[in-house]
Amino acid sequence: MSVHISPDNCIACTTCVVHCPVADATPNFLGPRMIGPAYERFRLLGLNEDPSLHYCSNCKNCDITCPHGVPVSSLNMMARADQCQKTPPGLRDWILGHGELMAKWLHLIPAGLKNFGMLNPFTRQVLHKLGIHKRAPLPAFAGRNFRHLARQVKQPDTGRSVVFYPGCYVDVYDPQTGLDMIWAMNRAGYKVIVPQDLVCCGLPMVANGFWQHARSNAEHNLRSLAQWRDQGLPVVTGCPSCALMFRVDLPEYFPDLGEKYGACRLEDAQDFLLACADSGELDLAPAASGKNQPDMKIMYHAPCHLRAQGNGLPSLELLRRLPGVSVSNAHAGCCGISGSYGFKTEKYEIAQRVGSTLFSTIRESGATLTASECGTCRVQIEHGSGTSCQHPVSILRSRLEHSDVKKA
Amino acid sequence: MSRIVDVLVVGSGMAGLVAALTAASQGKKVRMLTTGMGSLAISGGNIDLLGYVDGKYVPDPWAGMALLPAGHPYRLMGQENVRAALNFFQHHMASQQWGMHPAASWDGQARNVHTPTIMGTLKPTYLLPEKVNVDALTSARRVLVLSVEGLRDCRPALVVSQLRRYKAWADREFLQMTVPSPLGEAHRSASALDLARLIDRPQSRQWLIEALAAHAGSCDLVLLPPLCGSKAQPENWQTIENAAGCPVVEMLSIPPGVGGLRLRDALLRALRDHDFEMVENAKVLRAETSDKACTALVAEASGQERRHEAKTFVLATGGILGGGLELAPGKIRESVMGLDIAAPADVEQWASPDLFGKHFFASAGVCVDNTMRPVDSQSAARWSNVFFAGRSLGGYDYAAEKSGHGVAVATGWQAGRMAAAASEE
Repeated sequence: MSVHISPDNCIACTTCVVHCPVADATPNFLGPRMIGPAYERFRLLGLNEDPSLHYCSNCKNCDITCPHGVPVSSLNMMARADQCQKTPPGLRDWILGHGELMAKWLHLIPAGLKNFGMLNPFTRQVLHKLGIHKRAPLPAFAGRNFRHLARQVKQPDTGRSVVFYPGCYVDVYDPQTGLDMIWAMNRAGYKVIVPQDLVCCGLPMVANGFWQHARSNAEHNLRSLAQWRDQGLPVVTGCPSCALMFRVDLPEYFPDLGEKYGACRLEDAQDFLLACADSGELDLAPAASGKNQPDMKIMYHAPCHLRAQGNGLPSLELLRRLPGVSVSNAHAGCCGISGSYGFKTEKYEIAQRVGSTLFSTIRESGATLTASECGTCRVQIEHGSGTSCQHPVSILRSRLEHSDVKKA
Repeated sequence: MSRIVDVLVVGSGMAGLVAALTAASQGKKVRMLTTGMGSLAISGGNIDLLGYVDGKYVPDPWAGMALLPAGHPYRLMGQENVRAALNFFQHHMASQQWGMHPAASWDGQARNVHTPTIMGTLKPTYLLPEKVNVDALTSARRVLVLSVEGLRDCRPALVVSQLRRYKAWADREFLQMTVPSPLGEAHRSASALDLARLIDRPQSRQWLIEALAAHAGSCDLVLLPPLCGSKAQPENWQTIENAAGCPVVEMLSIPPGVGGLRLRDALLRALRDHDFEMVENAKVLRAETSDKACTALVAEASGQERRHEAKTFVLATGGILGGGLELAPGKIRESVMGLDIAAPADVEQWASPDLFGKHFFASAGVCVDNTMRPVDSQSAARWSNVFFAGRSLGGYDYAAEKSGHGVAVATGWQAGRMAAAASEE
């Protein structure tokens, strides 16, 4: 590893342990303070790794709550990368770290067949043995990936463009959210460019210990995005984890790539849309006929990787401005899934325990719809609470498009 | 961006949360910027108002305030305002089902009360959770001291031997008990918070109920580490008292601050009823100011900068440890507005050789007027819309005075209400 973070800013105040959802859910995790800064001192002396390192889900609540700015989760991820270099992770972790690549290999098989193959009880039993829990809410492959569908969308040429980085979740499993994003950006007066050559941001690879693969994905993306940045176009994403990876993790993990290609900082698409609403570019006013829509009560879940970014909760404000919509912030902590963490056989129960506060908060609220930006948070919320969960931009579209249709 | 709020509060410790709640309860749009989690994650959950002045114990904190120097935050605000601030705080705690009350003596006057710590020492404090039976602390004759195996920081034998040294506790009868850990053989040693979280869940609190049942009715006070639940839910406490058959009092403990988390839980619940927005992980880098006012604060947002505009600003950024005050050789600087704080050039003079003596660093901080606006050397307010609260203020030494949360609540309320008023101008 070329990067070293000094563990000595940690004053052992235990704030991170208090807010670590995994330490809350299992006493077998030594906790962020010990696994991060305390153990880092042992690592620097070349001593053995603590066996509970694998419990860290990289949710970053330790970083959010640390009063001294210690990037605890990065210490953990770098330690995991070191560990994985010595003992390569197994097939299960490879699969979970490379969802996008898997989809690419399987792209000739029709989605229905693929999903039947992946999601039938027999395969689930095999996957369970492999280490992917049989009850884990694995998302289904989409019929066509987002990048393919985006090419077919007829967009108005407004003279202003924005570059959209979909992230692998939207691209592989949830293209509708990406299409809704294009619709919203168009409404705000922006044509959406979807570069065809982008790959996964690499966060799932880091979390599963595939450091070199994450690095090569990062290099590919930074090289590609540099051209748009140099043209002065904003690059946005609807996925908080992708944004965090580009803005914080990549410069920290691979500083040399930043020097080579320059920083590429993805903007939060919801924040971008909110700014459009503020400037009058995006019309959120209710159409007269739109008032016929029934009022909507939504529970919003802020993904941990969004909270870690210091931008606040732009989606929450965007939703609150929609006509006839009342939104509550669930304020119930991590959903537990942490990307692929909650899919793992030995982590599934922990993830459910972590998310239990959120699930009961949603159920008790009586909300019929929940909203969250993060793709895997959405599958976890639907799985844990039984309530439908959508990306905020999809809700925005369903409210505003409906009004337009009525007007026409 | 036109997302201008009325009051922008920086810091989510006790002072910041009270300031935000004060402004929000007056109908103001409030945004809070935080980095880290603030003092409540490591606090015991009582409100220390004033325990000592010049090293002398003051049984009545209100009488003690008259003895404080003129620049002390309590003196600047005035006693009536400190009372109003505590009333405001108590009102909101009660509305969240986590009432806080002062100990009253036989004449009905509110007084300090000495609460035991897990080291077996006594600490004066003022407001306690209503669940704490203060009378039992003074009247109990037979006391059970309970701890849990694997909870390294709490040893009943130490607590008992230390408490016996105090006159009021010397001739009481003590029982000691160490309960097996409900967590069994875990990879890490348990903290009081781990145990408190077990108490939160009805299905996992039987171990404590059974342990206490063995002694039910045989004692008139149980002292235990802070494990009566991690949230502001009095039912947890009630369950444990029912099992013990007598009053239960938690000993004050080292971090994690279980009691402080209950206060934070209640304050955040109260804030959610208002127009309140919290921006986490946003470290404020600097302020943008004109001649007489602050226009915006610039915060770091994952590698980028983000401006936050507001009509008024409350800075509850903490002291040296919290990052509100920055030290350099011979210099102390307030970190957001860049205020220089007068300090002896010779760093040797910043601390005294006497550990429990007066240290310059302990009371160094921003000088303010009675509205909590920072003042220049001519005592004139520097900016019309900037207010300070909590440990970034100078003129008090919370560790020596035992006044930390008291000053935070009082100045948070004052700064919040002054900012709310200034936002209307």
